[in-house]
Amino acid sequence: MVKLEFHDPSGVLEVTQPHAPRLTTLEGKRIGFVSNEQWQAYRMLPLLKESLEADVPGITVLPIDAFPQGNALIGEEETARQVKTSGVDAVIVGNAA
Amino acid sequence: MKNAVAGVGLAPDAAMVTFPVNMFLPGSDIAPLTQRRREVYDGLLKWKSEFAQPAASAKMLAVEGATYEQALVNANNLLLANLWGDGLPLWPATKERVDWILQGATVPRAHVLGKFPPRGGITTVETCAIALAMAGGRPEYLPVLVAAVDACLAAEGFDQLQATSGGPFPAVIVNGPIAKQIRLNSGFGLLGPDPQRPAGASIGRALRLLQQNVGGALPGVGTMAIFGTMRYTNAVFAEDEDNLPPEWQTHATQRHGFARGTNSVSVVFASGVTNVRRRGAKKETPEEDALNGMWRMADFMRAPNLAALAGWESGTPGIMMIAPIVARRMAELGWTQQSIRQFLWENSRIPMDQMRRAGAPAWIEIDTNPVTRDSINLDPWPVCQKPDNIVLVVAGGGHPTHSYWLQAHSPTVPGRIIRTPETFERLLTDADRDLGCGDDVCRA
Repeated sequence: MVKLEFHDPSGVLEVTQPHAPRLTTLEGKRIGFVSNEQWQAYRMLPLLKESLEADVPGITVLPIDAFPQGNALIGEEETARQVKTSGVDAVIVGNAA
Repeated sequence: MKNAVAGVGLAPDAAMVTFPVNMFLPGSDIAPLTQRRREVYDGLLKWKSEFAQPAASAKMLAVEGATYEQALVNANNLLLANLWGDGLPLWPATKERVDWILQGATVPRAHVLGKFPPRGGITTVETCAIALAMAGGRPEYLPVLVAAVDACLAAEGFDQLQATSGGPFPAVIVNGPIAKQIRLNSGFGLLGPDPQRPAGASIGRALRLLQQNVGGALPGVGTMAIFGTMRYTNAVFAEDEDNLPPEWQTHATQRHGFARGTNSVSVVFASGVTNVRRRGAKKETPEEDALNGMWRMADFMRAPNLAALAGWESGTPGIMMIAPIVARRMAELGWTQQSIRQFLWENSRIPMDQMRRAGAPAWIEIDTNPVTRDSINLDPWPVCQKPDNIVLVVAGGGHPTHSYWLQAHSPTVPGRIIRTPETFERLLTDADRDLGCGDDVCRA
């Protein structure tokens, strides 16, 4: 039997920060959207806002343009700062494609 | 999406709800979103990452076979099954092979070049050597690959270039004596295979493997490149410095200020390749031949390549490659690199009514660069802010009939000096021994 050993070529990933903790409930929470303004986000995210408001008692869902929109802006530190200071409990990011 | 979150240091998974692409098209039925809205809610409430932190260095894989050939087949199958191959046969990156490649290194194997976006795989010199080993490379190619990777990692928007549907590919232009020393093609067939000058294929294939395996640019998953042109080997070639007309500068000098004789790479992200039959027919004077050819080149450039908006101010609309014999004839007629660029720039401008009918102004209006947005007031609209943005390279076979236009999606054109190890001369001697001399490729 011939054995061949070789390197995994995929490199090493370094996890430097944890994902945000999940919420225990949506009731009474404040939810925001971060939109890249593409791929029908202008239709889909408002629909999701309507659904959340209809399904979850006491929820507050911010308008989809509450934070900067577009691929060039949503990854900026300034956007992250605005999200943090807005007091939202969670954000939904869309639409990736 | 997994690449994107991994690239910012999160575990490479995320709470996602995915739908078929049809729902993301204009006028689509978005009712499935309502039907599956609970999955979105669950993403906020219940989702949990399943990623386990891996070991700090590349792990070793193993396969067995009754014969060496069967083990080799099994190794290739394993690489493909793990989505680390490109469909062509690979050399498994054994310890022996990687150590051999690393003879071309100038820094320790663990030296970190950066995180390869968008996935964010940590890219060391060893990571490059592993890819080069798989791609059939040799130690003397490693300095070029490392410089090219370094340039790519420094490129503005490289994460988006990796992922975008337009499918740009790195075109690596090499200047300096190293090009001939390692048998990098600058002549006939320089963008394709050449058994006498195989360096470009291996270096470019290794770069592509890094883009896919470390950077996460897996077709249809991590890169939405719809067509994926030139993505087996990218494009790695040399400028034909020996045949530059007198007084003409190398690309590296013009673009990056590197002195002639300096080993360097320059990376343009190209999104297409187009042949231009520039030579005339029937009766023509040398002046007509030159001018007609210039018009044809400009005509090919005069297109609303909206991906090139990303480099409108500081990048490039593309590489115009002209054969050395053409460059020489044009220089004899008084053309300079500057006057050629000026002609191409002026005569590739697009009347705004043509831009409007193509819907191009909308893309200009939403560009993030205010300088680019302001260009909407220009009529005719130039394909880049200034003539110097056009990359003009002298390369190709000794034949006057064609030029080559590589349109770009290149926000910047990063350049890097290539560093070679003290043992480089020995590596070149080994290459002469191993690869033979062909017509003219040995140094002695």
